[in-house]
Amino acid sequence: MQSKTLGWLLLAPTLIILFFFGVVPFLYVLWVSFHQWNPFAADPGMSFNWATNYRQVVFDAQFMASLGVTAAFVFFAVVSELIVGYLLAQAFMKDFPGKAIFRTIHTLPLIMAPIIVGSIWKLMTTPSIGIIPHLLHNWFGYDLNIGQSAAAAFIVTIIMDVWHWTPLVTLTLIAALVSLPPDPFEQAQIDGANKRQIFWHITLPMIRPAILATVFIRLMDALRTVDEVLMLTGGGPGSATRYVGVHIYKEVFPRTNYGYGSAISVIVLYLTIVACWLLYVSLIAPRTSKKG
Amino acid sequence: MKIANKLGASVLALIVATGGAFADDAFWAEAAKPYQGVVLHGVTESTPPSNYVKDVLAPEFEAKTGIKVEIETTSWDQMYDKAIKDMEAGTGIYDMVYIEQDIIYAYLSRDFLVDTTQLLKDHPELKAPTYDEANFTTFANYFKGDKGDLFGIPMEAFIKVYLYRTDLFNDPEVQAAFKEKTGKDLKPATTHEEYTEIADFFTQWGKDHDEQLWGTTAQAHTGHPASWYEFFESVAPTYGVYSWGIDAGNNYAASVANGGTMNSDEAKAAMKWWLHLRDVAPPESNQSTWTEVATTFAAGRAAQGLVYGENAAWVASDETKSRVVGNVGVALPPLSDGVLADAESGKGYIGYYDGGAFGLPVTSKNKEASMLFLEYIAQNEVQPDWAVAGSRITNTATYDDPKVQDLDKKLNGYFTMLKDQGRLFAGAPAYPFHAQVREATAPIFYQILTGAIDPDTGLDQMAAKAEEELTALGYRK
Repeated sequence: MQSKTLGWLLLAPTLIILFFFGVVPFLYVLWVSFHQWNPFAADPGMSFNWATNYRQVVFDAQFMASLGVTAAFVFFAVVSELIVGYLLAQAFMKDFPGKAIFRTIHTLPLIMAPIIVGSIWKLMTTPSIGIIPHLLHNWFGYDLNIGQSAAAAFIVTIIMDVWHWTPLVTLTLIAALVSLPPDPFEQAQIDGANKRQIFWHITLPMIRPAILATVFIRLMDALRTVDEVLMLTGGGPGSATRYVGVHIYKEVFPRTNYGYGSAISVIVLYLTIVACWLLYVSLIAPRTSKKG
Repeated sequence: MKIANKLGASVLALIVATGGAFADDAFWAEAAKPYQGVVLHGVTESTPPSNYVKDVLAPEFEAKTGIKVEIETTSWDQMYDKAIKDMEAGTGIYDMVYIEQDIIYAYLSRDFLVDTTQLLKDHPELKAPTYDEANFTTFANYFKGDKGDLFGIPMEAFIKVYLYRTDLFNDPEVQAAFKEKTGKDLKPATTHEEYTEIADFFTQWGKDHDEQLWGTTAQAHTGHPASWYEFFESVAPTYGVYSWGIDAGNNYAASVANGGTMNSDEAKAAMKWWLHLRDVAPPESNQSTWTEVATTFAAGRAAQGLVYGENAAWVASDETKSRVVGNVGVALPPLSDGVLADAESGKGYIGYYDGGAFGLPVTSKNKEASMLFLEYIAQNEVQPDWAVAGSRITNTATYDDPKVQDLDKKLNGYFTMLKDQGRLFAGAPAYPFHAQVREATAPIFYQILTGAIDPDTGLDQMAAKAEEELTALGYRK
């Protein structure tokens, strides 16, 4: 009993912080989402409008379009990061000259603020001064212009996200790979398993929890991408990279549409939870129930 | 004897001058006494004039008063986000906020700002002998309330001008080629047709001579409001479409059907003209905001363009940043028939008179100390160097300073144009819903730029969307 009380006492500071910086803001956003509120309207006050904002979201073609491009962005970005991150993690498991330096350099994007990442990629992709359009033109005769081509802009935002966040995946998977016991691998080799079989039947199942944790984190992060895309493309060309985070930003901040923007935020939070839950039930729950 | 007289007169003049300076210094030191230890916080856009405030005027003020001033210079979007959130929430983080001319009406409608005229009446001890509202140019009128009181201390003002490369326009070989191609003499355009001819000519010239040269700049970002502004504030007015095509006197109508002009034939012609210019502009144009347009011109990549005046000085005179120093000419933008007459009569305007002021948020905890700083930066004495650094003029006396007149020569008469013809330009219309209408219509505007929607349909949709937004905001009944 005493240790239980001590446990709660030790947890209390964290719970209090979580309550004030997590729960209270969420409840406030939820409250605002049921109001018509634009401080630069003729009537700048808040007026309760029931679920009008939520009804509006359903018929908002722009929001639906942004959901579509966001889903595509999240899928390609997270899958790419997982594959590249795993390959790099495997590479770092081996010894090679300059490994320490390469690993440090490889981790550098992770410590950069997203807005800086966006600035760097903007400089690298601007047609007149950017190294990437310059090289693509010289090597392949291709004129990269992300202000003009929707497909190019979309792909570049994915590459930028992969460049920024793959190190996180790599580091997580290195930790998982390092912690694997050697016995199953030795036994598999003795039994004559090849590399592909070892990967599918031993490595992958054993690092599955780490992979899923990484996917959850990246999924949630990618769904709320704002800064770097805003800096790189502003959501353009047109609405090609107006991902939900950018859409919400533009509704809430420049347009000061606080009520409607809050409703979209709540919807996106709900969709994120649903996406994570679906991922959980499809990948983890079946295994757990089999064991049970 | 004569030498002795001259020497004596010089010494006397020196004593009077330094005595005046000492007297002024004494005022700042005395007035600042109650505010020792205060740190003022300001937020502004990172521009040459704002950086001058941060790097030069703030330290000077601190040296004279002991009041520390921290100016945060950030991006245009962030500046607004921070200022509005602070004033809306009443947190009082900022003691001074940059107010661009077009946002002042929104701020006034929300009573965000302190009436500086009244503040000085209430606190005469704060009134600096060198500060006088009468020192300002007429640009200050944009920051006045209904009763004529000042709600923002002007810190920059400039016009968006037509810059052209004098070295190219005066090159005999280029002139001959232009004459051969068009049958006309090469000179700065006065009409849209002439401007297009010149733009097409130089873009082709660049291709033919394998040069990184195009015929015009275009502030045509496909995801940033800068392109929206270029069209509605700089291009549409030259076709006679004023105030964004919204008629405030007619229930804020935007569509032609309801009495507005946002989708008028003139607006559609303006859009098509501008889209053509974008197509013959350097490839970076569809990623260019106001800053990149100036950079493109300074890099020598465009023969002409509409460039914000705040950049004119460094483009024309700073060899560390610009490749076209000494080769920059200024002219009025090309116009449709009747637009100049509209501007002369006050019915319309020919381009954008941009600028901004520093305002005191009512939520500031250091209003009096902030007022001292704003008075400091408004003095005639600090203006000339600031004008040279940022090509901005807010005080009438600044035009006569030798340093400014020297720079005016390098700029081929930019300051003279600002002084004599600035009246033909205008700031943004007095709308309190500035960013709201822009953001509501911008997605359609960007679709026009990408070609997803044709210009005629796009402008029709924008006019309808603007009216829908104005109705939702409660301005349109």
